[in-house]
Amino acid sequence: MSASTHTPALKHHFEDLGQQHACERLGIWMFLATEILFFGGLFGAYTMYRLWYPHEFELASSHLNWKFATVNTVFLITSSLTMTLAIRSAKLGDRSALYRNLLLTAALATAFMVVKGFEYAQDFHERYVPGPLFAAEYDDATAAVRSMSYSQAEEYFKQNTQGEHPRHQNWAADLALRNKDGSPLMAADPGKVQLFLCFYYIMTGIHGIHILVGIGCILWVTWEAWRGTIPPENYSTVEIVSLYWHLVDAIWLFLMPLLYLAGIGYGGHH
Amino acid sequence: MADPTPTTTSAAPTDDPHGIRKDLDSPGQLVVVFLAVVGLALVNIFLSKSIGPTRYTLPLQLAIGSVQAGLVAYHFMHLKQGDRVVILTALSSLFWMGILFVLFLSDYMTRQYVIG
Repeated sequence: MSASTHTPALKHHFEDLGQQHACERLGIWMFLATEILFFGGLFGAYTMYRLWYPHEFELASSHLNWKFATVNTVFLITSSLTMTLAIRSAKLGDRSALYRNLLLTAALATAFMVVKGFEYAQDFHERYVPGPLFAAEYDDATAAVRSMSYSQAEEYFKQNTQGEHPRHQNWAADLALRNKDGSPLMAADPGKVQLFLCFYYIMTGIHGIHILVGIGCILWVTWEAWRGTIPPENYSTVEIVSLYWHLVDAIWLFLMPLLYLAGIGYGGHH
Repeated sequence: MADPTPTTTSAAPTDDPHGIRKDLDSPGQLVVVFLAVVGLALVNIFLSKSIGPTRYTLPLQLAIGSVQAGLVAYHFMHLKQGDRVVILTALSSLFWMGILFVLFLSDYMTRQYVIG
Protein backbone atom coordinates (compact mmCIF):
# COMPACT_ATOMS: atom_id res chain seq x y z
CA MET A 1 0.00 0.00 0.00
CA SER A 2 1.42 3.33 -0.91
CA ALA A 3 1.76 6.53 1.04
CA SER A 4 -0.71 8.12 -1.33
CA THR A 5 -3.48 6.13 0.36
CA HIS A 6 -2.86 7.81 3.70
CA THR A 7 -5.94 8.08 5.91
CA PRO A 8 -6.60 9.66 9.33
CA ALA A 9 -7.33 6.11 10.62
CA LEU A 10 -3.66 5.22 10.11
CA LYS A 11 -1.55 5.53 13.28
CA HIS A 12 1.75 7.27 12.68
CA HIS A 13 3.94 4.32 13.65
CA PHE A 14 2.49 1.98 11.01
CA GLU A 15 3.48 1.97 7.37
CA ASP A 16 -0.02 1.31 6.07
CA LEU A 17 -3.48 0.21 7.14
CA GLY A 18 -2.82 -3.43 6.23
CA GLN A 19 0.08 -3.54 8.68
CA GLN A 20 -1.93 -1.70 11.33
CA HIS A 21 -4.90 -4.09 11.07
CA ALA A 22 -2.59 -7.12 11.14
CA CYS A 23 -0.94 -5.83 14.34
CA GLU A 24 -4.31 -5.14 15.95
CA ARG A 25 -5.54 -8.65 15.12
CA LEU A 26 -2.36 -10.23 16.44
CA GLY A 27 -2.60 -8.22 19.66
CA ILE A 28 -6.17 -9.28 20.41
CA TRP A 29 -5.39 -12.91 19.51
CA MET A 30 -2.52 -12.89 22.00
CA PHE A 31 -4.93 -11.63 24.64
CA LEU A 32 -7.42 -14.34 23.63
CA ALA A 33 -4.68 -16.96 24.05
CA THR A 34 -4.32 -15.89 27.70
CA GLU A 35 -8.09 -16.10 28.11
CA ILE A 36 -8.12 -19.61 26.65
CA LEU A 37 -5.44 -20.63 29.13
CA PHE A 38 -7.35 -18.96 31.98
CA PHE A 39 -10.50 -20.95 31.20
CA GLY A 40 -8.28 -23.97 30.47
CA GLY A 41 -7.28 -24.01 34.13
CA LEU A 42 -10.94 -24.04 35.18
CA PHE A 43 -11.80 -26.75 32.66
CA GLY A 44 -8.81 -28.74 33.89
CA ALA A 45 -9.90 -28.57 37.53
CA TYR A 46 -13.45 -29.53 36.51
CA THR A 47 -12.15 -32.48 34.45
CA MET A 48 -10.15 -33.81 37.37
CA TYR A 49 -13.00 -33.69 39.87
CA ARG A 50 -15.47 -35.06 37.36
CA LEU A 51 -13.17 -38.03 36.78
CA TRP A 52 -12.98 -38.56 40.54
CA TYR A 53 -16.69 -38.01 41.34
CA PRO A 54 -18.63 -38.72 38.12
CA HIS A 55 -21.77 -39.86 39.93
CA GLU A 56 -22.18 -36.77 42.12
CA PHE A 57 -21.35 -34.42 39.23
CA GLU A 58 -23.98 -36.04 37.00
CA LEU A 59 -26.54 -36.04 39.80
CA ALA A 60 -25.88 -32.38 40.64
CA SER A 61 -26.04 -31.38 36.98
CA SER A 62 -29.37 -33.19 36.53
CA HIS A 63 -30.99 -30.66 38.90
CA LEU A 64 -29.87 -27.62 36.88
CA ASN A 65 -32.27 -26.02 34.41
CA TRP A 66 -30.95 -26.96 30.95
CA LYS A 67 -33.85 -25.17 29.26
CA PHE A 68 -32.56 -21.78 30.44
CA ALA A 69 -29.12 -22.76 29.13
CA THR A 70 -30.54 -23.80 25.75
CA VAL A 71 -32.26 -20.43 25.31
CA ASN A 72 -29.02 -18.71 26.28
CA THR A 73 -27.04 -20.80 23.79
CA VAL A 74 -29.31 -19.62 20.98
CA PHE A 75 -28.97 -16.00 22.18
CA LEU A 76 -25.17 -16.19 22.18
CA ILE A 77 -24.80 -17.89 18.80
CA THR A 78 -27.22 -15.38 17.26
CA SER A 79 -25.22 -12.53 18.80
CA SER A 80 -22.08 -13.95 17.15
CA LEU A 81 -23.85 -13.79 13.80
CA THR A 82 -24.98 -10.17 14.28
CA MET A 83 -21.48 -9.21 15.46
CA THR A 84 -19.92 -10.68 12.31
CA LEU A 85 -22.51 -8.88 10.20
CA ALA A 86 -21.50 -5.67 12.01
CA ILE A 87 -17.92 -6.09 10.69
CA ARG A 88 -19.33 -6.46 7.19
CA SER A 89 -21.41 -3.29 7.64
CA ALA A 90 -18.34 -1.42 8.93
CA LYS A 91 -16.28 -2.52 5.89
CA LEU A 92 -19.05 -1.37 3.56
CA GLY A 93 -19.40 1.94 5.37
CA ASP A 94 -23.10 1.21 6.01
CA ARG A 95 -23.52 3.15 9.25
CA SER A 96 -27.17 2.35 9.89
CA ALA A 97 -26.60 -1.41 9.42
CA LEU A 98 -23.49 -1.22 11.63
CA TYR A 99 -25.43 0.59 14.31
CA ARG A 100 -28.35 -1.87 14.05
CA ASN A 101 -26.15 -4.99 14.18
CA LEU A 102 -24.18 -3.72 17.16
CA LEU A 103 -27.34 -2.81 19.06
CA LEU A 104 -28.82 -6.23 18.26
CA THR A 105 -25.68 -7.91 19.57
CA ALA A 106 -25.80 -5.86 22.79
CA ALA A 107 -29.52 -6.67 23.18
CA LEU A 108 -28.93 -10.41 22.75
CA ALA A 109 -26.06 -10.27 25.25
CA THR A 110 -28.30 -8.45 27.72
CA ALA A 111 -31.03 -11.04 27.15
CA PHE A 112 -28.46 -13.72 28.00
CA MET A 113 -27.71 -12.01 31.32
CA VAL A 114 -31.42 -11.56 32.08
CA VAL A 115 -32.05 -15.29 31.56
CA LYS A 116 -28.97 -16.04 33.64
CA GLY A 117 -30.41 -13.80 36.37
CA PHE A 118 -33.69 -15.76 36.33
CA GLU A 119 -31.71 -18.98 36.48
CA TYR A 120 -29.64 -17.86 39.47
CA ALA A 121 -32.83 -16.59 41.15
CA GLN A 122 -34.44 -20.00 40.71
CA ASP A 123 -31.34 -21.74 42.07
CA PHE A 124 -31.29 -19.48 45.13
CA HIS A 125 -35.04 -19.91 45.62
CA GLU A 126 -34.50 -23.68 45.61
CA ARG A 127 -31.49 -23.22 47.93
CA TYR A 128 -29.35 -25.02 45.37
CA VAL A 129 -26.31 -23.05 46.49
CA PRO A 130 -23.24 -24.54 48.18
CA GLY A 131 -22.89 -23.64 51.85
CA PRO A 132 -25.39 -23.04 54.66
CA LEU A 133 -28.47 -22.84 52.39
CA PHE A 134 -27.71 -26.22 50.84
CA ALA A 135 -26.87 -27.81 54.20
CA ALA A 136 -30.05 -26.53 55.87
CA GLU A 137 -32.29 -27.77 53.04
CA TYR A 138 -30.60 -31.16 52.85
CA ASP A 139 -30.62 -31.64 56.64
CA ASP A 140 -34.31 -30.71 56.76
CA ALA A 141 -35.18 -33.31 54.10
CA THR A 142 -33.06 -35.98 55.78
CA ALA A 143 -34.55 -35.32 59.23
CA ALA A 144 -38.12 -35.42 57.90
CA VAL A 145 -37.79 -39.03 56.70
CA ARG A 146 -35.38 -40.34 59.33
CA SER A 147 -37.92 -42.59 61.07
CA MET A 148 -39.67 -43.70 57.84
CA SER A 149 -39.03 -46.73 55.66
CA TYR A 150 -37.71 -46.10 52.16
CA SER A 151 -41.11 -46.54 50.51
CA GLN A 152 -42.77 -44.26 53.09
CA ALA A 153 -40.07 -41.65 52.48
CA GLU A 154 -40.60 -41.92 48.73
CA GLU A 155 -44.35 -41.34 49.17
CA TYR A 156 -43.72 -38.47 51.59
CA PHE A 157 -41.44 -36.66 49.14
CA LYS A 158 -43.91 -37.21 46.27
CA GLN A 159 -46.46 -35.24 48.27
CA ASN A 160 -44.11 -32.61 49.67
CA THR A 161 -42.11 -31.55 46.60
CA GLN A 162 -45.09 -30.32 44.58
CA GLY A 163 -46.66 -26.89 44.23
CA GLU A 164 -45.32 -23.35 44.24
CA HIS A 165 -44.05 -23.50 47.82
CA PRO A 166 -43.09 -27.13 48.39
CA ARG A 167 -42.07 -28.33 51.82
CA HIS A 168 -38.88 -29.78 50.30
CA GLN A 169 -36.94 -29.08 47.12
CA ASN A 170 -36.64 -31.83 44.50
CA TRP A 171 -32.87 -31.97 44.70
CA ALA A 172 -32.91 -32.32 48.51
CA ALA A 173 -35.56 -35.05 48.35
CA ASP A 174 -33.56 -36.88 45.68
CA LEU A 175 -30.37 -36.67 47.74
CA ALA A 176 -32.09 -37.66 51.02
CA LEU A 177 -33.72 -40.69 49.34
CA ARG A 178 -30.44 -41.81 47.80
CA ASN A 179 -28.65 -41.66 51.12
CA LYS A 180 -31.41 -43.46 53.07
CA ASP A 181 -30.80 -47.00 54.27
CA GLY A 182 -32.24 -49.56 51.87
CA SER A 183 -32.34 -47.17 48.94
CA PRO A 184 -32.13 -48.88 45.53
CA LEU A 185 -30.52 -45.71 44.19
CA MET A 186 -26.80 -45.02 44.26
CA ALA A 187 -25.83 -42.98 47.34
CA ALA A 188 -24.33 -39.53 46.74
CA ASP A 189 -22.02 -37.46 48.93
CA PRO A 190 -23.66 -34.03 49.54
CA GLY A 191 -20.19 -32.46 49.84
CA LYS A 192 -19.28 -33.57 46.32
CA VAL A 193 -22.60 -32.33 44.98
CA GLN A 194 -21.72 -28.94 46.47
CA LEU A 195 -18.30 -29.17 44.83
CA PHE A 196 -20.03 -29.40 41.45
CA LEU A 197 -22.16 -26.40 42.40
CA CYS A 198 -18.98 -24.45 43.24
CA PHE A 199 -17.73 -25.15 39.70
CA TYR A 200 -21.13 -24.22 38.30
CA TYR A 201 -21.26 -20.84 40.03
CA ILE A 202 -17.58 -19.98 39.51
CA MET A 203 -17.51 -20.94 35.82
CA THR A 204 -20.84 -19.37 34.88
CA GLY A 205 -20.05 -16.35 37.10
CA ILE A 206 -16.68 -15.70 35.43
CA HIS A 207 -18.27 -16.25 32.03
CA GLY A 208 -21.04 -13.80 33.03
CA ILE A 209 -18.42 -11.19 33.96
CA HIS A 210 -16.91 -11.65 30.49
CA ILE A 211 -20.37 -11.13 28.99
CA LEU A 212 -20.77 -7.88 30.96
CA VAL A 213 -17.35 -6.67 29.77
CA GLY A 214 -18.38 -7.61 26.23
CA ILE A 215 -21.62 -5.64 26.52
CA GLY A 216 -19.60 -2.63 27.69
CA CYS A 217 -17.20 -2.94 24.71
CA ILE A 218 -20.05 -3.40 22.21
CA LEU A 219 -21.87 -0.34 23.59
CA TRP A 220 -18.64 1.67 23.35
CA VAL A 221 -18.21 0.66 19.68
CA THR A 222 -21.88 1.49 19.10
CA TRP A 223 -21.27 4.95 20.58
CA GLU A 224 -18.22 5.41 18.34
CA ALA A 225 -20.24 4.28 15.32
CA TRP A 226 -22.98 6.76 16.20
CA ARG A 227 -20.36 9.51 16.45
CA GLY A 228 -19.15 8.52 13.00
CA THR A 229 -15.61 7.66 14.10
CA ILE A 230 -15.66 4.21 12.50
CA PRO A 231 -15.14 4.72 8.78
CA PRO A 232 -14.48 1.62 6.65
CA GLU A 233 -10.70 2.09 7.15
CA ASN A 234 -11.26 1.73 10.88
CA TYR A 235 -13.40 -1.46 10.70
CA SER A 236 -10.82 -3.30 12.79
CA THR A 237 -12.20 -1.56 15.91
CA VAL A 238 -15.38 -3.60 15.39
CA GLU A 239 -13.40 -6.71 14.49
CA ILE A 240 -11.31 -6.59 17.67
CA VAL A 241 -14.40 -6.42 19.88
CA SER A 242 -16.00 -9.16 17.79
CA LEU A 243 -13.03 -11.50 18.30
CA TYR A 244 -13.40 -11.13 22.07
CA TRP A 245 -17.14 -11.67 21.76
CA HIS A 246 -16.80 -14.85 19.68
CA LEU A 247 -14.38 -16.30 22.22
CA VAL A 248 -16.93 -15.71 25.00
CA ASP A 249 -19.47 -17.48 22.78
CA ALA A 250 -17.08 -20.38 22.07
CA ILE A 251 -16.37 -20.86 25.78
CA TRP A 252 -20.10 -21.13 26.44
CA LEU A 253 -20.29 -23.91 23.84
CA PHE A 254 -18.13 -25.96 26.23
CA LEU A 255 -19.74 -24.78 29.48
CA MET A 256 -23.13 -25.93 28.22
CA PRO A 257 -22.27 -29.66 27.93
CA LEU A 258 -19.93 -29.69 30.95
CA LEU A 259 -22.40 -28.10 33.37
CA TYR A 260 -25.94 -28.52 32.01
CA LEU A 261 -25.77 -31.66 29.87
CA ALA A 262 -23.55 -33.67 32.25
CA GLY A 263 -26.54 -35.12 34.06
CA ILE A 264 -29.31 -34.78 31.51
CA GLY A 265 -31.25 -38.06 31.34
CA TYR A 266 -29.64 -39.14 34.60
CA GLY A 267 -31.06 -42.17 36.45
CA GLY A 268 -28.36 -43.02 38.95
CA HIS A 269 -29.46 -46.58 39.78
CA HIS A 270 -27.04 -49.08 41.15
CA MET B 1 11.68 -6.28 -25.23
CA ALA B 2 8.71 -6.82 -23.02
CA ASP B 3 6.31 -4.01 -22.46
CA PRO B 4 7.09 -2.61 -18.97
CA THR B 5 3.49 -1.50 -18.56
CA PRO B 6 1.62 -4.09 -16.47
CA THR B 7 -1.25 -5.64 -18.33
CA THR B 8 -3.07 -6.68 -15.16
CA THR B 9 -3.44 -4.64 -12.05
CA SER B 10 -3.09 -6.02 -8.54
CA ALA B 11 -3.96 -2.66 -6.99
CA ALA B 12 -7.22 -2.25 -5.16
CA PRO B 13 -10.09 -0.69 -7.08
CA THR B 14 -10.34 3.07 -6.85
CA ASP B 15 -13.45 2.99 -4.65
CA ASP B 16 -11.60 0.70 -2.19
CA PRO B 17 -8.05 2.09 -2.05
CA HIS B 18 -7.14 0.21 1.15
CA GLY B 19 -8.42 -3.16 -0.02
CA ILE B 20 -10.82 -3.34 2.92
CA ARG B 21 -13.61 -5.04 0.99
CA LYS B 22 -11.49 -7.79 -0.53
CA ASP B 23 -12.36 -10.27 2.24
CA LEU B 24 -15.98 -9.31 2.67
CA ASP B 25 -18.15 -12.00 4.29
CA SER B 26 -21.08 -13.38 2.38
CA PRO B 27 -24.23 -12.99 4.54
CA GLY B 28 -25.62 -16.24 3.12
CA GLN B 29 -22.53 -18.16 4.17
CA LEU B 30 -22.65 -16.60 7.64
CA VAL B 31 -26.28 -17.64 8.05
CA VAL B 32 -25.42 -21.21 7.00
CA VAL B 33 -22.64 -21.32 9.61
CA PHE B 34 -25.03 -19.87 12.21
CA LEU B 35 -27.65 -22.53 11.45
CA ALA B 36 -25.01 -25.25 11.62
CA VAL B 37 -23.80 -24.08 15.07
CA VAL B 38 -27.37 -23.80 16.43
CA GLY B 39 -28.25 -27.17 14.88
CA LEU B 40 -25.24 -28.84 16.49
CA ALA B 41 -26.25 -27.36 19.88
CA LEU B 42 -29.70 -28.90 19.51
CA VAL B 43 -28.19 -32.22 18.35
CA ASN B 44 -25.96 -32.17 21.42
CA ILE B 45 -28.94 -31.73 23.74
CA PHE B 46 -31.04 -34.35 21.93
CA LEU B 47 -28.24 -36.95 21.95
CA SER B 48 -27.40 -36.24 25.60
CA LYS B 49 -31.05 -36.72 26.58
CA SER B 50 -31.36 -39.87 24.48
CA ILE B 51 -28.31 -41.75 25.68
CA GLY B 52 -28.02 -40.28 29.19
CA PRO B 53 -24.72 -40.10 31.09
CA THR B 54 -22.61 -43.01 29.84
CA ARG B 55 -18.84 -43.21 29.50
CA TYR B 56 -19.19 -42.09 25.87
CA THR B 57 -21.50 -39.15 26.50
CA LEU B 58 -18.89 -36.61 27.62
CA PRO B 59 -16.45 -37.28 24.73
CA LEU B 60 -19.38 -37.05 22.31
CA GLN B 61 -20.60 -33.78 23.85
CA LEU B 62 -17.11 -32.28 23.78
CA ALA B 63 -16.55 -33.44 20.18
CA ILE B 64 -19.74 -31.64 19.11
CA GLY B 65 -18.70 -28.57 21.15
CA SER B 66 -15.29 -28.60 19.45
CA VAL B 67 -16.86 -28.68 15.98
CA GLN B 68 -19.10 -25.75 16.99
CA ALA B 69 -16.15 -23.77 18.37
CA GLY B 70 -14.14 -24.64 15.23
CA LEU B 71 -16.90 -23.24 13.01
CA VAL B 72 -17.05 -20.07 15.13
CA ALA B 73 -13.26 -19.66 15.01
CA TYR B 74 -12.90 -20.41 11.30
CA HIS B 75 -15.80 -18.38 9.96
CA PHE B 76 -16.88 -15.81 12.56
CA MET B 77 -13.36 -15.14 13.91
CA HIS B 78 -12.01 -15.10 10.36
CA LEU B 79 -9.24 -17.65 10.83
CA LYS B 80 -10.04 -18.74 7.28
CA GLN B 81 -8.47 -15.50 6.07
CA GLY B 82 -6.09 -14.96 8.99
CA ASP B 83 -2.39 -14.18 8.72
CA ARG B 84 -0.06 -17.06 9.47
CA VAL B 85 1.07 -15.44 12.69
CA VAL B 86 -2.55 -15.12 13.88
CA ILE B 87 -3.25 -18.78 13.08
CA LEU B 88 -0.02 -19.69 14.89
CA THR B 89 -1.15 -17.69 17.95
CA ALA B 90 -4.57 -19.39 17.93
CA LEU B 91 -3.05 -22.86 17.61
CA SER B 92 -0.37 -22.12 20.20
CA SER B 93 -3.06 -21.37 22.79
CA LEU B 94 -4.46 -24.86 22.22
CA PHE B 95 -0.94 -26.30 22.34
CA TRP B 96 -0.20 -24.65 25.71
CA MET B 97 -3.56 -25.80 27.04
CA GLY B 98 -2.68 -29.31 25.89
CA ILE B 99 0.56 -29.12 27.89
CA LEU B 100 -1.43 -27.90 30.90
CA PHE B 101 -3.82 -30.85 30.67
CA VAL B 102 -1.12 -33.47 30.02
CA LEU B 103 1.03 -32.34 32.94
CA PHE B 104 -1.65 -32.17 35.62
CA LEU B 105 -3.53 -35.25 34.40
CA SER B 106 -0.29 -37.24 34.39
CA ASP B 107 0.12 -36.24 38.03
CA TYR B 108 -3.41 -36.72 39.38
CA MET B 109 -4.22 -39.85 37.38
CA THR B 110 -1.07 -41.76 38.32
CA ARG B 111 -0.92 -41.06 42.07
CA GLN B 112 -2.25 -44.51 42.90
CA TYR B 113 0.80 -46.03 41.17
CA VAL B 114 3.33 -44.40 43.52
CA ILE B 115 5.58 -47.09 44.98
CA GLY B 116 6.85 -47.06 48.51
